[in-house]
Amino acid sequence: MPRKAADPIRFAGIGVASGLGHGRAAFREGLFAGRNVFSELKREGREAPEGEQPFLGVEMPEPPAVLPPRVDRTATLTGRVAASVLAEAWEDAGLDAIAPERIGLVVGGSNLATRERALALVEYWEKRAFVRPRHGHMFLDTDLCGLCTAAFPIRGFAMTVGGASASGAVAIVEARNAIRSGRVDACIALGAMQDLGGHDLQALRALGAMGSDRFSDVPEKACRPMDADHDGFLYGEAAAALVLCRESVGLSKTYGTLLGAASIADGTRGPEPNHEGQIRAARMALAEAGLAAADIDHVNGHATGTPSGDDTELETYRALGLHHTRINATKSILGHGLAAAGAIETAAVLVQMAEGRLHPTRNLETPIDPGFKWVGVAPVEQKIGHALKFSFGFGGVNAALVIGAPEASR
Amino acid sequence: MDSDQIVDIIIGEIRETVPELADRPIGRGDSMADLGVDSIERSEIILATLEAVGLKVPMVQLHGPRNIGELADLIDAKKSG
Repeated sequence: MPRKAADPIRFAGIGVASGLGHGRAAFREGLFAGRNVFSELKREGREAPEGEQPFLGVEMPEPPAVLPPRVDRTATLTGRVAASVLAEAWEDAGLDAIAPERIGLVVGGSNLATRERALALVEYWEKRAFVRPRHGHMFLDTDLCGLCTAAFPIRGFAMTVGGASASGAVAIVEARNAIRSGRVDACIALGAMQDLGGHDLQALRALGAMGSDRFSDVPEKACRPMDADHDGFLYGEAAAALVLCRESVGLSKTYGTLLGAASIADGTRGPEPNHEGQIRAARMALAEAGLAAADIDHVNGHATGTPSGDDTELETYRALGLHHTRINATKSILGHGLAAAGAIETAAVLVQMAEGRLHPTRNLETPIDPGFKWVGVAPVEQKIGHALKFSFGFGGVNAALVIGAPEASR
Repeated sequence: MDSDQIVDIIIGEIRETVPELADRPIGRGDSMADLGVDSIERSEIILATLEAVGLKVPMVQLHGPRNIGELADLIDAKKSG
């Protein structure tokens, strides 16, 4: 039985955006169908170097406009998507019922709009005298905090937190901490859209982290977390807002309870994964939840599809003894949302809990380690009581979340 | 380029920056403040106008005009001078 917190913290609202579309309905449908959304990246500023293969990944449709036109035209794509997922989560949770001073916002991610910044630099470097004044407040990631709190009655606090590819999960941890400390009663963890440009993509390719050379002509096969033919992660535009609240504040919806959460440093500067850090984060989250690995019946991996990342994560699964549990990889469908990944993949866990079904792992045809109970290319019916979610980031960030289904944690 | 053409550029930039003013008649005698343009938007509009007319002057030299016509006259004078 999980440890009973005096006033547990639960997930009360979800807003999502990805290549599957905008909103929970498109997300749910696309996840369980394992619909392909991978193709060559086409957004302006994502061109590959001349003579090289185009970058592969996932781009989302234009977000619904939720900001007034006068504000909308001044916002980055990252900002417009953040406002859109926040609007959906706000309405889902019924946050109007809570006093604005008791609501907080933690935006996960840093250097979020580098594609638009690079385009602006190229356009204005030779005519810097005409740089638009608004750039002076827009180049800060915290512009998202201003944009969101100006559009929604959030008056407790607003801040950004960075954790590279674990930023979304780190935002959930910090939102939990803010509620637990008494600072607010409800807090939105927003995994922001990391809008990469061609400069960033090329560096990630050169670093050996981003695929795919092997499947450069077949984008739908290129993203293969935990499969023997994996050769790197594929970028996918995504964003998600999750409303966390204290059980006692009386928001009506419950997707699940955050039973345990940890985010720790392992002492790595660069992109190298570290299984000791991953194991420690998982053990801390499990201990807080009062659960053992044997109690976990679903693992949602970080599982990016990079050879060293997948191998290290498998080592972590072995050390924790997760052979009994069903494992899938949301990145196989959405691509890697970087700053958004931890948040939108947690949304995937919550949607799967509600459905009693696990989404497929696209392209998982030959598991590197067949000793685990993978959810392969078809969905699996399964009731989830306790899920373990991993998120890791460059710079030695390791996060783990333990989430209980509404009925399992009461 | 004369002052009236600069007025047209300024008005175009105002309508672009504040979409709510798309259908409102705007002329030389209107001031941006009266139209509800805020201070950052005003700076954006002036910079975009300077870029369009190809005039590099520090923003402080453009303080003083009380309406769009006077601003256009000042930009025109700086451009000619």
